[in-house]
Amino acid sequence: MRIKFNAKFISAIVVGVILAFVINKNWGAASFLSTKNLSTFLVVGVALGGIYAITAGGLVVTYATTGIFNFAHAAIGCFLAFVYWQLSVQFHIPTLLAMAITLLVIAPAIGFLLDKVLMRRLRDASLVVQLMATVGLMLTFMGITLTVWTPKKARTLDHFFEHTKGVQLGSVIATWHRIITVVIALLVAVALRWLLYRTRLGISMRAVVDSRSLAGLTGAKPSIISGSSWALGCMTAGLAGILIAPETGLVVENLALIIIVAAAAAAIAQLKSIPMAFVGGLIIGLATSFSSTFLQFGTDWSYAGEAIPCVILFIALLFLPQARLETGKVRLTKRTERLTKPWEAGLGGLSMVLIVGLWANGWIPWFSGTNWGERSTVWLGRGAGFLVFGLIMLSLIPLIGWAGQVSFANYAIAGIGAVLFSHFGGQNGNPIGIVFVVLVCAPLGLAIALPALRLKGLYLALATMAFAEFTDKVLIRHPSMLDPSNSGVLYKPLRILGITISTDAADRKAFLMFLVVMFALLFFMLELLRRSRWARRWIAISDSPAAAATIGINLTTSKMAVFMLSGAMAGFAGCMLGLQTGALRVDSFPMFAGLPIVLLLAVQGVRYPVAAFMGALGLASFPAISEVFGNPSWLTQLALIGPGIAAIAMAYRPEGAVFYSGRDLAGLLPWRNDAREEKALFTAKERSENIQKDEINDMGLSRPFSEDKVAQLDRVLSITDAVDETKMVNTGGQS
Amino acid sequence: MTTILETQEVVVRFGVLQAVSKASIKVETGQVTGLIGPNGAGKTTCFNVITGLQEATSGKVMFDGKDITNKSPFKRARMGISRTFQKLEVFGSLSARENILVAAEQRRAWDKSGFDPKTVCDEILESTGLTDVSEFMVGTLPTGTARLVELARALASDPKVLLLDEPSSGLNEEETEGMASLLRRLVAKGLAVLLVEHDMSFVMGTCEYIHVLDFGSIIATGTPLEIQANPHVQAAYLGAETVEEAS
Ligand SMILES: Nc1ncnc2c1ncn2[C@@H]1O[C@H](COP(=O)(O)OP(=O)(O)OP(=O)(O)O)[C@@H](O)[C@H]1O
Ligand SMILES: [Mg+2]
Repeated sequence: MRIKFNAKFISAIVVGVILAFVINKNWGAASFLSTKNLSTFLVVGVALGGIYAITAGGLVVTYATTGIFNFAHAAIGCFLAFVYWQLSVQFHIPTLLAMAITLLVIAPAIGFLLDKVLMRRLRDASLVVQLMATVGLMLTFMGITLTVWTPKKARTLDHFFEHTKGVQLGSVIATWHRIITVVIALLVAVALRWLLYRTRLGISMRAVVDSRSLAGLTGAKPSIISGSSWALGCMTAGLAGILIAPETGLVVENLALIIIVAAAAAAIAQLKSIPMAFVGGLIIGLATSFSSTFLQFGTDWSYAGEAIPCVILFIALLFLPQARLETGKVRLTKRTERLTKPWEAGLGGLSMVLIVGLWANGWIPWFSGTNWGERSTVWLGRGAGFLVFGLIMLSLIPLIGWAGQVSFANYAIAGIGAVLFSHFGGQNGNPIGIVFVVLVCAPLGLAIALPALRLKGLYLALATMAFAEFTDKVLIRHPSMLDPSNSGVLYKPLRILGITISTDAADRKAFLMFLVVMFALLFFMLELLRRSRWARRWIAISDSPAAAATIGINLTTSKMAVFMLSGAMAGFAGCMLGLQTGALRVDSFPMFAGLPIVLLLAVQGVRYPVAAFMGALGLASFPAISEVFGNPSWLTQLALIGPGIAAIAMAYRPEGAVFYSGRDLAGLLPWRNDAREEKALFTAKERSENIQKDEINDMGLSRPFSEDKVAQLDRVLSITDAVDETKMVNTGGQS
Repeated sequence: MTTILETQEVVVRFGVLQAVSKASIKVETGQVTGLIGPNGAGKTTCFNVITGLQEATSGKVMFDGKDITNKSPFKRARMGISRTFQKLEVFGSLSARENILVAAEQRRAWDKSGFDPKTVCDEILESTGLTDVSEFMVGTLPTGTARLVELARALASDPKVLLLDEPSSGLNEEETEGMASLLRRLVAKGLAVLLVEHDMSFVMGTCEYIHVLDFGSIIATGTPLEIQANPHVQAAYLGAETVEEAS
């Protein structure tokens, strides 16, 4: 116990010193002691914190009541803010009515719909599938919003009472908008608390997450309970979106990024305490306001203020208690697959080279002469780009597919790799730089994961997403990384094995072939690795961490190894990415751009190296489809919506397309009776599961609940933070 | 016969619920020790404390004369404590063979005798009768067979103490008899076994010594004959049965 305390104590001191240093170094002109500055800081901070608190509170409520962390929370809020804009600004519906329609009709409708088609299916799914499906939902909502309300036109939402003066507070004026925001935040906090602790529906909502039979005792239908949770989540998300849009502008990326804020506050709340979620939101609001009032980041760090939620998330992770090794959660899936033999893997790799080679030389007649992915210099360049994304996907297979560690950071690592390569080796065409980058990116991959290694898998996903955002806003934008004034080509042509790699149109085919050969080699290596003791160990820690520990596996070092491997592979992909794009801009690596890569890999089947190739083809298919239709405006967001919807579909087909198509294709072979039998078994099992689910949903017990039932629920769900020692029940019979 | 594993006054509290109250258990080498008790008595929690998956609120766990109370699970495994789980904890997306192999390979981290994991794996597959299903993913195997895989995996670490949590559940009569004879062979080789089991004829037939847990406390210890005659034990079991019938 003492040692743990000391570790936290030391972290606290280190974090404090670093913060003090950063604050001291970037202190602006504003005096801290002037009442004007102080009250500006507080008024802005509390108002912003109130909005963050609402959205974080809603996120925690849905997580605590359904067990699903909704990455789409802020994106749904963003969509609803646009709906509200449409109603109030375009259709001139009065403010209150427009709000009522948005928040009391449309938001709950979305919630119930999501529950019915998606969330209920996710409840029993693996963490990977839960994460992919909700991230997919986020991209889908972003894509839909961007399609309906194209970003070409600027939109603004007025503050409430835009043209009134507000209230004089000391020497600053608190606008009515801010005052209303704070009041609404307080009301929402009280209402949530009341709903969850005083109403039958709320108590059932809290009960349902751990035990559906326990929820039955409280007398509500499970389908209504979970539907209400999602409706509530959507309403809070929408409210926050409408309140914050006047401050940030109606910009999809900005509004959807609030998910990082909500995640940081949720981490402070340990994903379960609603009051702490509000506190967390307030802390982030105040910190943001503190930085905008008093700090002046130099031009080198001009976006640092936007990374504050990421930093707070990282700090919160440092102080979370270590996760227990849980037992009894093993999910057994029926998969009669067998290990790929080395010769089969070799054949697979050769086929990849062959397919890409035939296409690149225009020997696939069907493609030539149509605009169906016709082989043009443009498409040769794009093809290389998709293969680079395929390399990033390969880097995720041991990490997510085998070790079960969901990371959204590998695109950011590749970005850092690309930038580093432009400094070391790329500028003078020296391939040794690639080795250097790989050696740097391996420990980088580890460093990102380090704070979350001892925590639940969900926190790792949050941390990596925050890191991707931090990379985009802070790391890559520093002039010593990427000089924003240098928009020229950062890489000299590289000569490897007698071929020239550059962005020149003439060199594109050679580069594409080089890439596909590298891809095939890495694919082959991964297939061999899958047969090694390393992969066995990673799969073991993913399938059952508790059992893995009890056969003597050191979970921490095993995870560290896979993060290093993945980081190294992402670093290599980064070098290729640099060579492929030639020039890098400071905004080349937004966090959202990395998500479709992860999603499409998962959709194909994250356990199987071949899925990286299929995933790259999947990415390529979106611009190709768009081209077939003549690039209409309604398809501009296909690259977001396509992967998004595909990932949502994982709720129905969790194992990935490679698995299902593999099984179905195997079933066509006359000698694969096992594959046919397995498919029949799977269909039968799924049918009986659906029947069971309906039965559970119809279980409408209507017994009343008592005070001690409520107390028992609280205990089981550990929702109340303090344990009342006086009520300690000692079941220790004779003692 | 020496005491290899011992818990001293272990207490485990979950919030307001005291799941284990000052439980002291001794496990001797070369024999099967039973740990029995009604549902919810705290047997699995005791296993979790011994293997390090659950932190004890107070009390000590001694192994081979050393205090291991604060050691992490994987270190305890490396010292020679191995277990199976009440609810299956197999590696479902590895084949049966890989399940055992991964444990055998891991053993090289502490056992420097220069054995070949593949040979060990084949031997264990042979002795547990799993050779025929060795290439199947464990997720596709029937529960009884998966339980055997779990036992085989535990054996692959070459433990000094083996903790078995309801090994006979999901097995038919014939398989249970096979399990009992396997246990007898193992203890004859000097292994210590701590067995949690609801099947009383299995317990009485295999255990040399038994601890009875009820509501987290040890209410009786002794040989099977002594336990069967103990009024406290009868009361605990009768009580449990009436509760079961009522629910
Ligand atoms: N992680 C936990 N959190 C809260 N309570 C727990 C936890 N694990 C076990 N319990 C409670 O502790 C008590 C003892 O549980 P345990 O699983 O050890 O009993 P058991 O003797 O193994 O029962 P069974 O024969 O049903 O397996 C039970 O009341 C159980 O509900
Ligand atoms: Mg048990």
